Amino acid sequence: MPRLIIDEREIEVPEGTKVIDAAERLGIVIPRFCYHEALGSVGACRMCAVKFVQGPFKGVQMSCMVDARDGMVVSTTDEEVVGFRKRVIELLMKNHPLDCPVCDEGGQCLLQDETVSGGHGLRRFPGPKRTYRDQYLGPYIKHEMNRCIHCYRCSRFYQEFCGYYDLGPMQIGDRLYFGRFSDGALESPFSGNLVDICPTGVYTDKTARFKLRRWDLQRAPSLCNLCSLGCNTVANGHYRGVMRIEARFSSEVNGYFLCDAGRFGFSYANGAEGARARPLSPAIAGAPASASAALDRAREALNDIAAKFGPGAIAVAGSGRNSLETQSMLDLVCKKRGWSGPVLFPTPSVRRKTLEAVKGLDSRIAVSMGDIEKSDFVIIAGADPLNEAPMSALALRQAARNGAPVVTIDSRPVALPCGFDHFPAAPRDIERYLAALVVKAVESEAAGFGKDAEAFYRHLKEVHENFEPPLGLARLCELLRESKRPVILCGTDAIPESTPAFVSGCARLLGLAGKKAGLFYLLPGAGSFGAAQLCGTEDKTFFEILEDIEQGLVRALVVAECDPFHDYPDRARLESALSKLELLVAIDYFDSQAVGCASIFYPASTIFETRSTYINQEGRVQVAERVHCGGAPIRGGNHPPRIYSGLVPGGDHLPAWKALGQIAGLIGADEASAQTFLPPALCPGEGKRVPMAKAGFPETPGFAGGSDGKAALNGDLFDLLTVEWMFGTSEFSVWSDSLDAAVSPPLMSINSKDAARIGLCDGDRVSVELEAGAFEIAVSVSDKTAEGVLVVPRHKELEWRKMKDFSVSVAADKVRKIGAK
Amino acid sequence: MPVYPQVLFKNRKPDRVATLDEYRESGGYEAVEKFIGGGIAHKEVIRLVGESGLLGRGGAGFPTGMKWAAVPDSSPFPRYLVANCDEMEPGTFKDRVLLHVDPHCVIEGMILAGYSFSASKAFFFVRPSYESGALILERELENARRAGFLGNRILGTDFCFDIVVHRSGGRYICGEASALLNAIMGKRPNPVKPPPYPTEKGLWEKPTVVNNVETLANIPHILRNGPQWFKTLSATPHGTGTKIYGISGKVSRPGAVELPIGTRLSEIIEQHCGGMAPGSKFKACLPGGASTRFLTGEHYDIPMDFEDLKKIGNRLGTAAIMVFDQNTCLVGATLNLLEFFARESCGWCTPCREGLPYMRELLRRIENGEGKEEYIPNLRLLCKEVWNSYCALAPGAAEPVVSLLDFFEDEVRQHISEKGCPFHAKADH
Amino acid sequence: MLPDELKNKLRKMIAGAESPREKAIDVMFEIQELQGWMSDEAMVEAAELLGMTPLQLEELATFYDYIYRSPVGKYVIKVCDSTVCWLEGHQRVVDYICSRLGIPLGGTTADGLFTLLPVCCIGYCDRAPAMVINKRVFGELTTEKIDRVLAQLAQTADFSGWE
Ligand SMILES: Cc1cc2nc3c(=O)[nH]c(=O)nc-3n(C[C@H](O)[C@H](O)[C@H](O)COP(=O)(O)O)c2cc1C
Ligand code: SF4
Ligand code: FES
Repeated sequence: MPRLIIDEREIEVPEGTKVIDAAERLGIVIPRFCYHEALGSVGACRMCAVKFVQGPFKGVQMSCMVDARDGMVVSTTDEEVVGFRKRVIELLMKNHPLDCPVCDEGGQCLLQDETVSGGHGLRRFPGPKRTYRDQYLGPYIKHEMNRCIHCYRCSRFYQEFCGYYDLGPMQIGDRLYFGRFSDGALESPFSGNLVDICPTGVYTDKTARFKLRRWDLQRAPSLCNLCSLGCNTVANGHYRGVMRIEARFSSEVNGYFLCDAGRFGFSYANGAEGARARPLSPAIAGAPASASAALDRAREALNDIAAKFGPGAIAVAGSGRNSLETQSMLDLVCKKRGWSGPVLFPTPSVRRKTLEAVKGLDSRIAVSMGDIEKSDFVIIAGADPLNEAPMSALALRQAARNGAPVVTIDSRPVALPCGFDHFPAAPRDIERYLAALVVKAVESEAAGFGKDAEAFYRHLKEVHENFEPPLGLARLCELLRESKRPVILCGTDAIPESTPAFVSGCARLLGLAGKKAGLFYLLPGAGSFGAAQLCGTEDKTFFEILEDIEQGLVRALVVAECDPFHDYPDRARLESALSKLELLVAIDYFDSQAVGCASIFYPASTIFETRSTYINQEGRVQVAERVHCGGAPIRGGNHPPRIYSGLVPGGDHLPAWKALGQIAGLIGADEASAQTFLPPALCPGEGKRVPMAKAGFPETPGFAGGSDGKAALNGDLFDLLTVEWMFGTSEFSVWSDSLDAAVSPPLMSINSKDAARIGLCDGDRVSVELEAGAFEIAVSVSDKTAEGVLVVPRHKELEWRKMKDFSVSVAADKVRKIGAK
Repeated sequence: MPVYPQVLFKNRKPDRVATLDEYRESGGYEAVEKFIGGGIAHKEVIRLVGESGLLGRGGAGFPTGMKWAAVPDSSPFPRYLVANCDEMEPGTFKDRVLLHVDPHCVIEGMILAGYSFSASKAFFFVRPSYESGALILERELENARRAGFLGNRILGTDFCFDIVVHRSGGRYICGEASALLNAIMGKRPNPVKPPPYPTEKGLWEKPTVVNNVETLANIPHILRNGPQWFKTLSATPHGTGTKIYGISGKVSRPGAVELPIGTRLSEIIEQHCGGMAPGSKFKACLPGGASTRFLTGEHYDIPMDFEDLKKIGNRLGTAAIMVFDQNTCLVGATLNLLEFFARESCGWCTPCREGLPYMRELLRRIENGEGKEEYIPNLRLLCKEVWNSYCALAPGAAEPVVSLLDFFEDEVRQHISEKGCPFHAKADH
Repeated sequence: MLPDELKNKLRKMIAGAESPREKAIDVMFEIQELQGWMSDEAMVEAAELLGMTPLQLEELATFYDYIYRSPVGKYVIKVCDSTVCWLEGHQRVVDYICSRLGIPLGGTTADGLFTLLPVCCIGYCDRAPAMVINKRVFGELTTEKIDRVLAQLAQTADFSGWE
């Protein structure tokens, strides 16, 4: 480990540390523009100059380009380098407009900071300033090229780090321009990071433009709850509205970045006054009432039901959106009051897959996104990372950039921002491909496996017997065999129930074969890991509760941050069941359909208005702090209605767990802390993983396919799979109009051979007839989609909720062409 | 006029390109036959070139043998050679002349260079305005192929090697070795700092050697006649070989001449260029292309070699001598040079991208009579500061400015105090 | 739309390279040979042939001096304005051509035949002042020589007979 002296202080740093980072460890922040830890050093801006006084180099050098070495003596304050850095600022300011007063970056601008700290104040340069024409970059990013200081961070991030190639450097010399080939929306779903990464105001956040100054904002560490990864954010509040989301660094989770869905999908929180302003439904009260009256009313009504039909006639349901606090309260309420539930999953298959996934992890094998970046072989089984958990796709790209082969086995036409080998496999075939890969890779070590492992290994061999490996698989087996840190990433959505456990077994086998193998699941929602921790294998799902309602066993339903109209695949059945209820109580921050037909509604606070805990899909406990106190946001110069009370307008709401606790009569109105009832096992401390029991091999490994993959393919029958899209399918997409601009129309993917067989061409419109009715959709034909499947997004513009479960079989003649492109 | 042995220009014809046969008659391709056909170890080629003391003719004067030896034995294949015929530095045209004189001399040099570190493919990188040279080369490559000197199994040995012409879209920075590699790969031609060096990871991450055209043209002669012979060609004891000097500007007969390296400037101008142009008196010259310093009458007799110029704080560079006379405004000339460098800056690093236009602006104001006293110290400081640029372009650009201020400060001050260019009335530029 | 014949030629050219991008400049030169400049449509088609995004090709096209992203005349006259030509009176050459063609520097004649641009040193300093027209160089320029070149190009659209 090299030891060096910087500004007369000694420090020892790991081999390969750049001097700029070594200094930072001493608290000396050397000015920089082009250098960014995630992007590495390129030495373009020349701002980080320091003087090397002794050691292998002498004189002025860029501290971002030099590795720390033994015996170096470095000065950051030497007259010559201070002067040079001041000159660099002067050179950059030569053309920079002095538009700070109208620039959104003002107050959080690296260029501003370094201009001030460098002492540049007076313009010496006698020439004119350069100007550029700006481009339209889409709904989220505003382009202002005059402000550019040409540090290349944007293009390096956009192209090298993210793998998108529609933004980059053009021209030469001092006419250098960063932009697109022509006006148009940026193609990268990570484009929002340009706002964070640009050291000045070339790229600003359109959703926040001209609304804020950094120093006027209430800022707090928060989390993204759009998917199960739990990326770390900083949320910025202002006048009770959320103004913008920025990425917050987390070495293990999201690094420095966020996806655009997470960054821009917050406007639901500002529309919450819509839900909060909703009057009590006439079915109970017949007139608008305050929220606290609703709480009392709900408690009374539930007491009545309990008295009439017994407490078991009351069921409570949560969802993957719940914080750990809400889930724990749901659990507590059922335990204490004898109510049915809590129901945390929509269908038995979702529950089983999630539980199996969580059970399959333990601390020896669970990996983070940070670990994925360092892995040297990644298998993606039954997942579509970019759509289901976008930031994981960025982690995969970093692995690929470091040389890791990436293999996807999935029925969808998976797209990733890196090179990868895709094996289109219907859900039932995923395990077969995986087995073929893993068996070959561990074969030579198989003798040393223990008893359980051997049984599983034999099972693997059986699974891929008669399986003719597709072209290219053998080479990948070889690479997997040579890998040292392979990771398997597995979804829980468009896969058979047996797959999560199967994948965990495979990862474990790789571990026994002497590798540091890793396992990474994607779960259905931000709260799914917590839900799985609280949910027993026998616990009911929404499906069973529906049955109970239909049979009159359940008379009242409380839904907390749960909208069955969104979550449940069989709309007709849901509606008829709910109509049988005597009481529906909804607690939510979305103005959801369930809220619309609830007899009593209580507005819940959003993640920004209350401290809440989430456990991400790798079991890491993370906390979103309260950003601001809730209430109707002040917007557009309109003061909210003046009500002469001590309350903040629109502020009469509680976190869902508090509302629930009060409705159930478990806590009083002044209960402040959730700590008292959170299960201690799930509170290992912020940022830590929950303790996980040692997981074993699946006892009775199931297998989704038949013994012969070919026979399982029935030409007349399609598996209709419903899946997530990055934009347009989640509840956040439904309720955040800020995401509308990114939503593209729904498309049904079908394999080219299948399409040819049933006479479909790319772009045709079809009607898909299900038992409960039909939906219409355009088709997208590709040979990357597995044969025998139809893949449909659970898109907000598509009436797909006519299915018994999230995937069903459809006869080929039920897919009818109704129009050509 | 003293006559010296002609090595590279041996086959120079007044009006046409030497043919393959003419080249062979003069001993051409003997080195290929002897070393490659004769199966002499490729290390021996490197040893001989190293011993000859040949310094790169592209401007930096790096020892050629050392560069070739830097390709590690264990490094992967394929390996590439690049002949740098970008030659975009103002004043420099020697490689163009060489190409029009004796293209096979360059081709043979490339084959031998490729052999020395087991390359299998070479790129001849050529600028757009040398299209005629590119066409000549393509034609002669085909002739060399037909004669068995290029392509698969050269002269029946296991050595396979071919050369393709890569046309540039035209930018000075493409001549910088690492930018050149990016250009060939179809990336933006920004330079890249080593490590890794191109000899380890160059084109497509494979070992690559970049050499100047004139450097390569020397190789067949060195191998045929031996390193000792090569050393004796020099006019100075420390120099080695001949040098093609490209003289332009205010001399009677501008052009490219091959002379012993270290021939005195005075001799070059007076004996080999017909003296100064009629009515012109020597005021200064740039001795080695646009990125060297003005050389004044004080050093009119200097031996034009790497070492001697280094001693007076200048550089031989590309040995492109631009001669200025008493009527030349050197502020104007420097402004013109800065115009070139600022326009050609690749835009990667701040001091060059923004600093050169800054200097240009100050010089332009001085030249136009809007100059201020304070511009002079500011310019001096900028010249020092652009040395902290990413590549050698900007430091090169500062050289004429530094020397303008060092040797012709009075002329600069005169512009400022007289609020205009004192030469303007006299000359027509 | 690029003609199929050209496209096939380009495809063949690209197939012979170590990597497709290597041929980016050659491809653009070929297209310019045919239509003078790189239109947006041509950029998109060329990029596709090269396996690049249009932006990636634009990064190169706008870097280089000899790739034109706006319409130019059939003959692009580039007069060298670097040191030696400057010394030898490049301004006179520019002024003369401007007046002869009736266009400013950077302009194109109404008949679409000529565009006049400045260019950095073209490596013919020994024959200054010099200019390059569509990759053909003309040195030691005098008004008579310029007249002859322009006249011949305007009439016969032929370069032959020049250096
Ligand atoms: C801005 C810049 C431009 C250059 N242009 C050329 C050039 O046109 N031709 C050339 O041979 N070398 C040029 N060089 C030098 C090359 O980087 C490299 O040193 C040379 O090609 C190596 O060949 P040699 O060792 O045979 O001299 C240039 C260097 C710089 C910094
Ligand atoms: S000094 Fe900097 S901007 Fe100039 S050419 Fe070199 S890298 Fe490019
Ligand atoms: S931060 Fe070191 S050069 Fe930009």
